[in-house]
Amino acid sequence: MDFYFGLAQTIGIHTLLGLSAYVLMLTGQLSLAQAGFFAIGAYTAGIFTVLFQWTILPALISGALIAGFFAFLIGFPALRVRGLMLVVATIAFSEFVRLFFFNLHWRETIDNLEVGPDSTQGFREIRFFSANGWETWEVSLFVWFFVIAVMAGLWWMDRSRAGAVLRAVGEDELAAQSVGLNLTAVKVAAMTVGGVIAGIGGGLYAHTVTYIDHLTFTVLLATFAIAYPILGGLSSVFGTLAAVIFIQGILIEGLRFLGDWRNILFGLLIIVVMNLKPSGIFDARTALMLKRMFAGKRGKPGDA
Amino acid sequence: MEDFWYEFVEITQSISDGLLFGSTYALIGIGFTLIFGTMHKLNMAFAAASIAGAYVGLAVLSFFDAPAIVVFLVSALASGAIGYVVYFACFRFIPVDNPLAALMTTVGALFFIDEIIIHVTNASPLNYPALFDDVYIDIPPYFFRGDLLFVFVVGLLSMVVLLFVLYRTRLGLATRAVSQQNVAAQLCGIDVHKTNALTFVVAGVLGGVAGGMTAASVGVLSPLMTLPLTIKGLIVTVIGGLGSIPGAIVAGLLVGALENLFLYVRGVNERDMYVLLLLFVFLVFRPNGIFGKSAHRD
Repeated sequence: MDFYFGLAQTIGIHTLLGLSAYVLMLTGQLSLAQAGFFAIGAYTAGIFTVLFQWTILPALISGALIAGFFAFLIGFPALRVRGLMLVVATIAFSEFVRLFFFNLHWRETIDNLEVGPDSTQGFREIRFFSANGWETWEVSLFVWFFVIAVMAGLWWMDRSRAGAVLRAVGEDELAAQSVGLNLTAVKVAAMTVGGVIAGIGGGLYAHTVTYIDHLTFTVLLATFAIAYPILGGLSSVFGTLAAVIFIQGILIEGLRFLGDWRNILFGLLIIVVMNLKPSGIFDARTALMLKRMFAGKRGKPGDA
Repeated sequence: MEDFWYEFVEITQSISDGLLFGSTYALIGIGFTLIFGTMHKLNMAFAAASIAGAYVGLAVLSFFDAPAIVVFLVSALASGAIGYVVYFACFRFIPVDNPLAALMTTVGALFFIDEIIIHVTNASPLNYPALFDDVYIDIPPYFFRGDLLFVFVVGLLSMVVLLFVLYRTRLGLATRAVSQQNVAAQLCGIDVHKTNALTFVVAGVLGGVAGGMTAASVGVLSPLMTLPLTIKGLIVTVIGGLGSIPGAIVAGLLVGALENLFLYVRGVNERDMYVLLLLFVFLVFRPNGIFGKSAHRD
């Protein structure tokens, strides 16, 4: 049973990661900086609970805010460039953050135990949950509390003026600008919100796995972050959730019996899927088809 | 005074070593830039294909004990062939106006190539034989390693050959036509798909040479080299200006030199951080790169 709770945690954390990329993708920008924000959230939240002995909630929130702050800072120079240039700039940011934590050495002795990030050796013993006697299912519930809060927040935002503004910039920057929207402000705001969400995800990740090192936060993780919304489509937050369940639950866990062939298959699968459906599995056409299917069922006369 | 002189020699020595090694970055950057120039898309699998080419060269070397030049030729041809496959798998059937889909497919290809290498070599790094470890030029107080000089000469030769192909052959004419205006080029009877595929092969050949050069000067081949090489190549491409070949050459040498300087001043773990900071300096003050036109923003 613990296995399924663990899987639920992974799915929840990756959903947060995917949603953080989703927000910025609504404005038409593709960012690979999400791995960097995730790393900032993971390391800072871990440092707060381990070195400063904070409890989990303020540590998570501080980690998320710090990640959001860096997203805000990086937004200005990075969003001067668009499209593929932004991809390169954000890859560079993620790599920079990874190398920073690769070099970070901050060891302190707390309760006769030396703890803290140990540069190349990684950051071990982030044991808040087990030290306070949390059960796996409680941790899963905690993770999903954040996932549901963020999903509800974004779902609500999508139906408010803010969502319309983001999508307007994503559809046509020139038109958005001509109705008086400040493009930089909108994009930097989206980047900041994405940073905060990725920061929460990172903090949760650090505390669920208890050991993080720089190799977790590579371009691979950033690719996962953008792959979820690309596969799930941008019509709603549930697409991202569906894509995470599909990739983490079915492809990664379900194909474990294939051994290292699984990884080879993974790259191949991305190529095949993108060739067949270049704008995502759940693109507008599929979404419309699904909607018709469900609407048709519900709308039939005589149905209870 | 003695100390200062010693420091000066050490610093200039590391800059010149870096300049020599920078020719590999220049070649990788040219590959990225060539493909971006013709298709306005990034090929993230490019550096992985180059390393894969170097692996094929190493396989030939271990089976036949071939001379260095044959090994490099085989690496180049293998990488060119991989480039052709990557074009068909990742670009041919993706809509022209969807650069993000092509980005995803090539990232998929990057993982695919990486995992194949890991599967074949059991994830252990392989030694690449030193080519000219007994050759060196000693001009006191400086000392130039033979393999780095060889890398530099091969890099320069490849660039000359590339410029010849681009500006003196029909293929080059077609490539430049497609990169300027692909619709107009099509109307003139140029087969855009064939030209694009051949551009991928040309870029792949350069990449294969660069992969072999990297392996020869580092002395080891490992699948872990693909991501750093990809990132360095992208940095070089952006600093030089997307789509600019002279820009890629200058930026490649610049990144190589500065990287070695940072290595000397700050050590191996922090080296790449400063190279990334350099990219951000360019993004803030000169987002279009050294030679980029402002029209090339996207």
